[in-house]
Amino acid sequence: MRLATAAMLVATTMAACGQDDGAQSSAPKAPATIPELTKDPLTLKFIWFDWPPAHALEDFANAEYAKERPNVTVKVNTVPNANWHDAMFTQFAAHKTDFDIAVLDSQHIGEAVTNGNILDITDFVKKNIDVKAYNPYLLAAYGQYPQAETGKRDENASLYGLPLLGDTWTMIYRKDLIGDKPPQTWDEMISVAEKCQTDNPGVSGLAFHQANGSDAAAVTYNTVNGVYGGNLWDAKTRKIDGVLNDAAGQEAMDVLVNKMKPLTAKGSGNWFIDEVNAAVAQGKACIAFNWIAASGGLLDPKQSTLGTTREQILDKLGFAPLPSQKTNLVPLGGMGMHVSAYSSEANQAEALNFMKWFEQADIQKKWAAAGGVPARTDALESPEFLNAGPFNKVYADSVPRMRDMWNVPEYARLVDIENTNVNAALNGAKNPKDALDDIAKQQQGVLDSGNRKGGGGL
Amino acid sequence: MSDRTLAVAFISPALLLLLAMSVFPLLWALYLSFTDYSATRGGPAHFVWFENYTAILASAQVHLRALTTLIYVVGAVTLQTVLGFAIAYLISRRTRGRGVLTTLFLVPMMLSPVVVGLFWRFMLDAQFGVINSMLGSLGLGQVEWLTRQRTALISLIVVDTWQWTPFIMLIALAGLTAVPKYLYEAASIDRASEWFKFRTITLPLVWPLLLIAVLFRAIEAFRLFDLVYILTNGGPGVSTETLSFHVYKVGFLGFNTGTASAYGILMVLIVIVLTQLYLRYLNKLKED
Repeated sequence: MRLATAAMLVATTMAACGQDDGAQSSAPKAPATIPELTKDPLTLKFIWFDWPPAHALEDFANAEYAKERPNVTVKVNTVPNANWHDAMFTQFAAHKTDFDIAVLDSQHIGEAVTNGNILDITDFVKKNIDVKAYNPYLLAAYGQYPQAETGKRDENASLYGLPLLGDTWTMIYRKDLIGDKPPQTWDEMISVAEKCQTDNPGVSGLAFHQANGSDAAAVTYNTVNGVYGGNLWDAKTRKIDGVLNDAAGQEAMDVLVNKMKPLTAKGSGNWFIDEVNAAVAQGKACIAFNWIAASGGLLDPKQSTLGTTREQILDKLGFAPLPSQKTNLVPLGGMGMHVSAYSSEANQAEALNFMKWFEQADIQKKWAAAGGVPARTDALESPEFLNAGPFNKVYADSVPRMRDMWNVPEYARLVDIENTNVNAALNGAKNPKDALDDIAKQQQGVLDSGNRKGGGGL
Repeated sequence: MSDRTLAVAFISPALLLLLAMSVFPLLWALYLSFTDYSATRGGPAHFVWFENYTAILASAQVHLRALTTLIYVVGAVTLQTVLGFAIAYLISRRTRGRGVLTTLFLVPMMLSPVVVGLFWRFMLDAQFGVINSMLGSLGLGQVEWLTRQRTALISLIVVDTWQWTPFIMLIALAGLTAVPKYLYEAASIDRASEWFKFRTITLPLVWPLLLIAVLFRAIEAFRLFDLVYILTNGGPGVSTETLSFHVYKVGFLGFNTGTASAYGILMVLIVIVLTQLYLRYLNKLKED
C-alpha cells in the first residue's frame, strides 16, 4: 500500500512537471514579411493523405519551385486517409512535428487554431497575397476561422491557411447507358439510375461513398441533405438537434436510404473513393459520385475496362455537376496549406515563401495543368485548367454552389457520430429516422459540452 | 567489483528501461485518468477525481461496446479452442509428417494482423471477393460479410480464429505429447475404448494446459483492435466496435486524454480481476 502511494505521488509530481502552463491557447502569428531565407539545403515537408494529388504536388513543386529555390527539396509525406487527422494532431499534441506545412481539411482548422497548432497568417496574407483574386468563400473555407457560414468571407476575420487544392463532387455517368444528357434533378437522377440498373443486369444504378471511416458516409448524407433543402445546423445558436433532423433532413435520409441505397451494389456499404472509382472503371455503375481530385485515374486505360484509350473511355463516361432538387448545393472539398507552429524558424520562413510562390496566378495555372485544382478565379477560368481534364469545368461551375460542414474544434467527434450513424442506416443496422435523431442528439451533446475536458467524448 | 555491484550493473539498464517504457507510462496514465487533461488542447490538468470513471461506467455506449467485445471474445476463443484442440489431437495421433503439418498450421500465426486483415478484406469483399465467388459457383447467393451487423462480427471471429487457432493447437499438442504412454497402454490392456481413454486420460491431463492457452487468447482477444480497424472500421455503424477500438476513438478523435486513460485503466483492471479469478480456478484444478 505504501509502495502504491509512493508511486502515485511520484507519478503525480512528474506528470505535473510535464504539463505545460496552458499559455498557448491561440495560434502564434506569422510575420507579415517573409524572413530572410536560408541558402543551405532545406527540405520543406508537407503532410497529406495518400492520393494522386499528393504525389502530383511533390512532383510539381520539385519541378517548379526548384527553379526559384534550388536549395529546397519538397517532400510530401503521406498517410492513409483514415489516419490523416490522427497523424497530424498526435504530432501537434507532442508540440513537435516532422512536417512544416500541414494540409488540413477545412473542418480541421478550428481544432488546430484553438489548440495553437498552426500560424496565424493574417498579416502575411495582407502583405503578400491578392485576396481579391479568389472566390471569397473558397478563401474563407480553406483559411478563415471562425468559418464564414454565410458563404461570404469576413474581411476582419483571421486567416490561418491558403488554398492548396479545390474540390467538390462530380456526377460520373455512363453516356453509353443513360445517354449524353445528364439528369438535371436528384429525383430524375434516381429514376434514370433505376431504369439503367433494370436494363443492364450486373450494373448497379448508383455508386457513392458509404464507409464509416474518414468523412465518407457523412459527406454523402450532407450532400443529399443539402439538395433537399436541409441544414446541418444553425451556426449562430450552435443548434443541431431540431435542425438536422427537421422535415427536410428526414426526407433527405429517406431518399438516401430507401431510394438510393437499393440502387447500389450489394456489399457496397463500406465503399469510399477507391471502391467507387473501381466500380466505374470496371463498368459496374451507371451513375457514380466522387471527389473531382480523385477522378483522374478513371481516364487511365490501364485502370479501366471501358476502353483502351482515353478517348474511348470518354466516349462512355460523362462528368457533370451534381443535379439539384430543392437547392443546388454541392459539398465543399479540397484543402488548404497551414504552417506548423512547431516547425523551425527557417522552415516556417520557407513555408511562407512557398505559399506566396504557389498562390501566384501563373503558378496556379501551371498547377492546374499538372493535375491540381486551383482556387484563384483567374486560374479556374483559364484554358490551362478547363482543358486539363473533362471534370475541371464541373468544378468551375460548382464553385458558387458549395457548402461546407461545421468548422469547429469538435469536428472530429461530430463527423464520427455522423459517419457511424449514416453508415448504420445505409447497412440496415439502424432505422433511418432513429439514425438521424441519434446524430442530432449526440452531436448536440458534443457541442453543448462546450469543448469541456474530462468526463466526455464517449 | 563486488558480486552485488556487478549484479546491480547488469540489472540496472533493463530495470531503467522497464521503468521508463512500462511502469512510468502506466502510472502517468493512472494520474491522467483522474484529470480533465487533453493532449491537444493543452493547459494544466485539473483533478476531476472519479468523474471520468463514473462517466465510462454509466455510459450506454460503453456497455454496448462491452457486449460486442464479450460476444467476440467468447465466440472467437471457444471456436479456436475446439478447433485447435481437435487439430492437435488429430496431429498427435500421426507419426509421419507431424512436423510438416504442424509447421503448415502455424503459418497464419506468423503473419502480421494488418496483413491478415487486408488479405481477408479482399477475400470477403461482397462484389469481388473469393469467398463470394466460391459461394456463387456453388449456386449460393452473395453474402455481405463485412457490411451487415451479424455477418460482420462473425467475419471478425472467423478471421481471428483462422489466425490464432494454431496457437491453441501448439499448446494442446505440447500437452498431448506429454501424456505418459504407459497410461494408454494400461488402458488398452483393460480393453478401454478410444472414447474412454480420451475422456479419462487425455482430456484431464491436457485440460490445465489448454486453460492457460485459453487465458492468453482471451486476454489478446479482449484487446482486439487491428482486425477491427482494417476489416470493418467498427461498422456497420458501431456494431463491431470493440472496447479497444472505442478507446482509440476517445483518445484520438476527441483527444479526451483523461477519459481515454481512465478507460484504459478500467480495461486493465477488468483483465486483472478476471485473470485472478481464472488463475484461482486453475490452481484449484491443479490441487484436485
